[in-house]
Amino acid sequence: MSSADWKNYEPVLIPQIRDLHKIDVYEKNGGYSALKTVLTAKDKFPDQKSVIEEVKAANIRGRGGAGFNAGLKWSFMPPADGGPRYLACNGDESEPGTFKDRKIFEYNPHVFIEGALIAAYAMQITTIYVYIRGEYRAYIQMMEKAIQDAYDKGYIGKDIFGSGYSVDFHVHSGAGAYICGEETSMLESLEGKRGYPRVKPPFPAQKGLWGRPTTINNIETLAHVPSVINRGAEWFKGVGAENHPGPILYGISGHVNRPGVYELPSGVPVLDLVHEVAGGMRNGKKLKAVIPGGSSTPVVRADQLDGITMDSDSLREVGTMMGTAGMVIMDEDTDMVDMLWRITHFYHHESCGQCTPCREGTGWLEKVMLKIKNGEGEVKDLDLLLDITTQMEGRTICALADAAAWPVRHTITRFRDEFEARCKKSVHAVA
Amino acid sequence: MAYEFTKEDLQEIEKIKAKYPEVKAATLPALWVAQNRFGHVDENVQKLVANTLDLPESHVHGVATFYTQYYKEEKGKYVLDVCTCLSCQLCGGYDILEHLEKNLGIKKGETTEDGMFTLNEVECLGACGYAPMMQITNDQYVNNLTTEKVDKVVEDLKNGKVPEYEQIEMPLRNVK
Amino acid sequence: MPEVFIDGERYIYEGEQRLLQFIQDLGKEVPFFCYHPSMSAPANCRQCMVKVGQPIKDRETGEYEVDENGDRVIRWFPKLQTACNMMISDGMVVHTQETDELVSRAQKDNLEFILINHPLDCPICDQAGECPLQIQTYKYGPEGSRFEVKKVHKPKRVQLGPRVILDAERCINCTRCVRFTDEISKTHQLTITSRGDKNYPITAPNTEFDDPYSLNTVDLCPVGALTSADFRFKARVWEMNQTPSIDITNAKGCNIDLWTRDNLVLRVTPRFNEDVNDHWMPDEGREAYRIFNENRISRPKQKLDNEQVQSSWNNAFATISEQLEEAEKSDVLFVASPHASVEENYLFSKFASLTGYRTPLFTPHIEEGKGDGFLITDDLAPNTNGCRLLGLEEKSASEIAKAVKKATVVILLGDHLVDRGILTSEDLKEKFVAAFATNNSETTKIADLVVPITTAAEHAASYVNIDGRIQRTFPAKETKYTNRRLDFEMSEGRLDRYGTSFDNWVTDNNKVDCLPMWEIMRRVAEQAGLEEFQYGSGREVMEEIASISEPFNGVSYEAMDEQSGIQLDSIKPTTVQS
Repeated sequence: MSSADWKNYEPVLIPQIRDLHKIDVYEKNGGYSALKTVLTAKDKFPDQKSVIEEVKAANIRGRGGAGFNAGLKWSFMPPADGGPRYLACNGDESEPGTFKDRKIFEYNPHVFIEGALIAAYAMQITTIYVYIRGEYRAYIQMMEKAIQDAYDKGYIGKDIFGSGYSVDFHVHSGAGAYICGEETSMLESLEGKRGYPRVKPPFPAQKGLWGRPTTINNIETLAHVPSVINRGAEWFKGVGAENHPGPILYGISGHVNRPGVYELPSGVPVLDLVHEVAGGMRNGKKLKAVIPGGSSTPVVRADQLDGITMDSDSLREVGTMMGTAGMVIMDEDTDMVDMLWRITHFYHHESCGQCTPCREGTGWLEKVMLKIKNGEGEVKDLDLLLDITTQMEGRTICALADAAAWPVRHTITRFRDEFEARCKKSVHAVA
Repeated sequence: MAYEFTKEDLQEIEKIKAKYPEVKAATLPALWVAQNRFGHVDENVQKLVANTLDLPESHVHGVATFYTQYYKEEKGKYVLDVCTCLSCQLCGGYDILEHLEKNLGIKKGETTEDGMFTLNEVECLGACGYAPMMQITNDQYVNNLTTEKVDKVVEDLKNGKVPEYEQIEMPLRNVK
Repeated sequence: MPEVFIDGERYIYEGEQRLLQFIQDLGKEVPFFCYHPSMSAPANCRQCMVKVGQPIKDRETGEYEVDENGDRVIRWFPKLQTACNMMISDGMVVHTQETDELVSRAQKDNLEFILINHPLDCPICDQAGECPLQIQTYKYGPEGSRFEVKKVHKPKRVQLGPRVILDAERCINCTRCVRFTDEISKTHQLTITSRGDKNYPITAPNTEFDDPYSLNTVDLCPVGALTSADFRFKARVWEMNQTPSIDITNAKGCNIDLWTRDNLVLRVTPRFNEDVNDHWMPDEGREAYRIFNENRISRPKQKLDNEQVQSSWNNAFATISEQLEEAEKSDVLFVASPHASVEENYLFSKFASLTGYRTPLFTPHIEEGKGDGFLITDDLAPNTNGCRLLGLEEKSASEIAKAVKKATVVILLGDHLVDRGILTSEDLKEKFVAAFATNNSETTKIADLVVPITTAAEHAASYVNIDGRIQRTFPAKETKYTNRRLDFEMSEGRLDRYGTSFDNWVTDNNKVDCLPMWEIMRRVAEQAGLEEFQYGSGREVMEEIASISEPFNGVSYEAMDEQSGIQLDSIKPTTVQS
């Protein structure tokens, strides 16, 4: 299934099947057969390692934004020593523009549960936690119900499918903190603390939850696992773009006619997503810019988008990233100064305050942006903003400072005229 | 004011504790139990949670103040959290916020005199495709807001009618 | 031996080492705020940025890859690293701000960030002069500020507890104070509240920061966010002298510094000693600075017609001699003290022994249950073990009372037995009581003769702590008879050096009219015709003790200074050192 052929793609994560969230409907549609295969079909999967190898071969690149090969990540877990090991599933999606994992919680929770169980088995994990942002109260309740149903059917709990493998599965609700989507911050939050990201090393695979080996995966990433088991790594690798294969949940929002979450192969042309999938620009306006994968990924001007597809290689050509594939579409009337100020406001609000450059830098960015937005800025403030981003980037424990810095740098660079026009005329820079 | 957990709350907290190897991990869920019971987790409730879990009060205070969804003071009966972040901003989130400010006669961050509504401007709630939107008291999402829709929601709330969960149909792909 | 290259110099190292600590131990510098050697390293201030690389090894041969010049090929970390949490590994190559432009740039950038919301109120801040932020800003910081928007405002003058005051605007969120209550004192009384640039440390609502070690957070605070309720606004640090000493308020013997100005001790801070108190001390020990300043006995006092009046030193010595001569030897009782130093107790006992009196008695000063297994002990005296090792007779409180009742002449060395409830004023009636003491008390009030002696802040003297470690003090403040410029043991501050008697901050008012015990005992002995008390200093007394008393063999001031005290073999440590 090539990217170009996206119109013929049949969704696997969120197929249009009525009541798929109910466990018996999921079962009727082949649900939990992948779990059964890995646990009982010794000819196909003689041991846990063979499961990891299959997933590694599929090259499921982490759908939480970092894009790391999930199977490879699983292989970093140290050998089991009889003590507890954890899988922490990251359902904290809070990056502006990102609203995809909730579709899995709502429409197909069991595909995620099944994927998580396969991952847990492959890594000999004893307990799974799914961390869901506190605002998703409805989805938390849905997930709790789905997990209970799976417990009742014997897919979770003791001696699953008579394989001797046992695992527990719990939901943990967040309480309003974007930073908890950062994997080590999420571990702190799971442990009941303030969500301060941890210094690495040690990495979670060595010392994660309660000092024990832990793997953290995004919800969508895990939801892809059953189809990799059922259809094979080769099938998955054959979907979409070569270096970023598989189906993707594209979350499209902003000035389009049909915003929403669409499951399509990776590598679909950005302009197809805007004009065809999402039904084109609202009110017949012209496209001005696209943020491809959540607010931290650099914005791209419409004139840069010809031939650009939604995969990491192609996006790199225009200096941006895949991120979470949460695409924010902006029309010609969009005020880029206002838009950027709102992003700086977000990161200022969400900085945990642990590291100096982020705690101080995010606030400084917002305050200077506010000045510019209010028409009180000077051109030298634009250069100051660029300086601040340089001073923040790569200097902190986690990537929030980077995420705050990139949109500032790239929006100013790519829409400099618009920013200068907003600055006070009287103090225009001398050449 | 002295706060006490009911027997059911305490049973729930025991169940929560059993999910984790260490009691500290129960801090966030126990604060949720408390907020669901008392409507907020002010300093007295924080103390109750600390004592119930046998954790330092400072720890519970530090956690409660880190997370924005915990109300550190009493709020209105309905808390209207209007998202104005990025996609919502682009789709008119600020118009909704301003409309509500005018309609309720309060500024963001304030509570109406009758104690019915607290109005907040919040960060991304993960409903970007259904912008602009708001959340009611940490629970129901109300999507695709227009000023008319907001007015109706407010009227309904005044009459004690909380909007139901809005199922958003999966978008049908127009081509196949 | 594994090696590491720092700024082009090769160093060898052993074991597991944190890079920042290693650099510091070399006497080199990398600026930092949040790191503390005795606590976890959260790496949150981001100040100690360095450039770090590792040589590339050939997997098969295990040899280092070399370039065309024969130099090792280095794989650099893609980002600058914080030195505090970086463990050194063999072959590591490090560039600090001394040799790398990007590193010094990063450190400057970070200081700019720290300063944007800092109030920059050094002229009215107590921390000025000993402020890591101030010092490092001068050395590594930017010269101006580009911050032209509004600073974040936070609570100021918050009384966190009885002894500590918070100015949250000065806080740079290093979390040292929070980590102290979590990891060291374990009271968990502090937390960081809120989020982002609104963060600051605070107690839980309606609770007090009454941790018995709370003032250590003031020392730890790298800015003026936490200040001492007692000391704040009393003095600028550069006006003070800093003199090493020993905490005499309990048996742990925490190593401390006495901070003096114009011969008043204004504050006490802990001094690092890995084997005793690490970097810490209890708050109680700090409040004891008052005993050096307040309620001091100055000039001898003698009872005339049942009322104490000022007397002269000659009179005092003559009176003691007369009383001793008149009494039967068996009626004379010398009571030594665990509150007095080894030297003082020794002189006391030497005099008793040479003149044929009974060996001095002493009674320990214990408050059961007070100790916490850390730095607070049940024993309220600094030198109980010293008294034991000198062979003084250890008695219970009731035994002491009994012995006193029998005697007609009682000579007390600095133990306030009436105040301690061991004796009543009734017990001391109809006897001659001489008290050698530093401060007025109920006990000295009853005495027929009060002889003022120097405090631990005025003399060099040794104390044997609860674990059998002998440690000594230095004279920190002058008496009427000593002079900072003539006594090489005394520290000399800026005011001493440049102040004159015309400066209103230098006075003679705070010099107490008192003498050290070695001088007093020399005079008393001379009256009794003894020549064996010819000492010129406490140091000479200790030399004599070391030469004749086995437990003290090998002890000298030099050795104590070199080794930060000496563990005596004859006493087993009671507590496990952490």
